[in-house]
Amino acid sequence: MQDLLRRYGTGLTATFCLLVAFWILVLVILPNFAMFEQSFRPYLPVVDIGGPKDFYSLGNYSKILDNPFDTAIFGIPVTMPIHIKMFLDTVFYAALVTFFCLVMAYPLAYYLAKIADPKSIPTLLLLLFVPMWVSEALRAFAWYIILTFNGPLNMLLQGLGFIDQGIRWQQGGIFTAYDAIVIVLTYCYVLFMLFPIYTAITSLDSNQIEAAEDLGSPWWRTHWRVVIPHSKPGIASGCVMVFMLSAGSLLVPTVVGSTRANWFPQTIYNFFNDALDWNTGAAYSMIFLLVCIFFVILMMRLFKVKLSDIAK
Amino acid sequence: MTKHTSAFSRRRFLQGSAAGAGLLAAPAIISSKALASSGELNFTGWAGYPALAEKVFPAFTAATGITVNFKELPDQDTMFAEGKVALDAGGIDVIEPTIDRVGAWDSNGLLGAWDESKLAMGNYLPGLADGAAGERSRPGGALKYVPSNWGTESLVVNTANAKLSSPASLGDLFNPENPAVVRPHSALAAMGRWLDATGKLPRPWMDGYSDMAAMTELWDIALAEAIKAKGNIVQWWSGENEANAGFTANGATVGLCWDSTGFNLRNDGYAYVAPVEGAFAWHQGFVLMKNATNVDQAHEFAKWVSTPEGAAGWASAFSSNPVGKGASDLINPDVAAYYNGTFNDEALSKLWWWPDQSAEFLAKRAEYADKYKAA
Repeated sequence: MQDLLRRYGTGLTATFCLLVAFWILVLVILPNFAMFEQSFRPYLPVVDIGGPKDFYSLGNYSKILDNPFDTAIFGIPVTMPIHIKMFLDTVFYAALVTFFCLVMAYPLAYYLAKIADPKSIPTLLLLLFVPMWVSEALRAFAWYIILTFNGPLNMLLQGLGFIDQGIRWQQGGIFTAYDAIVIVLTYCYVLFMLFPIYTAITSLDSNQIEAAEDLGSPWWRTHWRVVIPHSKPGIASGCVMVFMLSAGSLLVPTVVGSTRANWFPQTIYNFFNDALDWNTGAAYSMIFLLVCIFFVILMMRLFKVKLSDIAK
Repeated sequence: MTKHTSAFSRRRFLQGSAAGAGLLAAPAIISSKALASSGELNFTGWAGYPALAEKVFPAFTAATGITVNFKELPDQDTMFAEGKVALDAGGIDVIEPTIDRVGAWDSNGLLGAWDESKLAMGNYLPGLADGAAGERSRPGGALKYVPSNWGTESLVVNTANAKLSSPASLGDLFNPENPAVVRPHSALAAMGRWLDATGKLPRPWMDGYSDMAAMTELWDIALAEAIKAKGNIVQWWSGENEANAGFTANGATVGLCWDSTGFNLRNDGYAYVAPVEGAFAWHQGFVLMKNATNVDQAHEFAKWVSTPEGAAGWASAFSSNPVGKGASDLINPDVAAYYNGTFNDEALSKLWWWPDQSAEFLAKRAEYADKYKAA
């Protein structure tokens, strides 16, 4: 604070503080608090709001435990509440998306940061960025068309003679009902993984890699012992971003999801828009937010990344 | 100098009083607009019907001098959400829901009453604004809803490839040989009505709409049957685009869709067919927001849509049926021919009007739709 005051004077410092306070209070705390408060109240017609039926309870939260049904996890039959299953599916497939993004982004980031000719970097970055200029909605629709039954992918495969019958990609033609969602989310968010890792690797002194090679380290050990530890903050922030973005995505699952796939944000959306029950929707949002944050913290513990590393 | 100060304070006063009039959260843009012009109307309606903005609104403006600020939304659940926000924030005068939602919207405190003396209630075709529909338009006694057009949700079939029973039935949607495009809650209702018609329900399907215990009993049965037959569903739809893509891109041969979907696909080898159980029918119209600011313009607007010209324009834009007397002479002959091809007098007499659905019913219905989707 003293530092800020000395450097920018009272006026500017006050402006900074006010803007930050506005951001945190009005754009973060107030809306979330409003939702938090609503989530404990029952959904009532307007006339009953504030009446005797309007009291705080955990009723909206406990709804997630309603409606048990028979299902299977990795082929093992279990009975669990329907929304818990959706929740687990969403977290699992969002983690899978994160993993695929990491596998695709890391080599590319390393190539861009250490191998590619510096003169060609602007061109390469531009090429990577170009798809990002198209809105996410349009990109999701493009994939919808590619993956449809009468779409170009099936036409191509049939034309080349690989398949006789069209594959219903969106209905889980290959692995699960979530194939299309995983493909499209990976496509949409891979750059959010690439750039943090790229930035992290750029800051690694190339001499360290050369030193490792001079000392006889094979390429994979150089990565394992030198490059990855150095780029861990980038990997961590990339993973957090991709995971939270894909777990919270509503558009992509709605557009390309199969008739058997249910992404948890769709459930929340249905509470707000289909059932008109904003209170339960708010409770589900809170559950989703808290459990995802918990999951991210757990993963960071597991991989020994500190929050301060990400902020670097 | 004096002049400058007075102009400034007058403006401040007007803005201040507009804000005081319940527009607390409305930005100055909206209130200054409302102050600046008396000839406009903030109308929130359905997205996906471009003829409204291209033809109908200009004709309305030419007739009355009132301009329409049109906000397009994809479905009426979103409209309800916007309406609820507008109750505090303002900015909406008229919304266009279906009649079965009016009760729920009214009990949520969204709606103001229409002044019948400023409308022309005699303009409407019999059965649309009087009789049972008239009662449904008057929750709590005052007129809260006037019709704008009506239409159906029925079978869209691929004439070459769909396997239809004879006569066509709602059951064809659940035939494993027919890839189908449906929306979850309508599909469950179709299953219920099909089971009802084939005598497989313990009590009439209609009971579920008035009695919640009957509702769970009946919808449990319909859900179980629908889940058994879910394998042939290849696409959910919630709006026009998805419904269309379900047929053209995903190869569905049967669907339970709005008339507009059938109309748009009529030249691509698809037909719109009324099932033997009777097509689902809906009735949509205008509600006045409780805090509407352009009340007179709203009445002009609703009244104009009951005239032959307005009703025909509205019905043509939605590829549906007009509400005003004398409008059928003016309607797009394409639409008229399309409708008459599907609905003869018998099919018309069998139309199954969506019953009122309470807020509690809608919440429960969403739960069933959820289970159906997750299965």
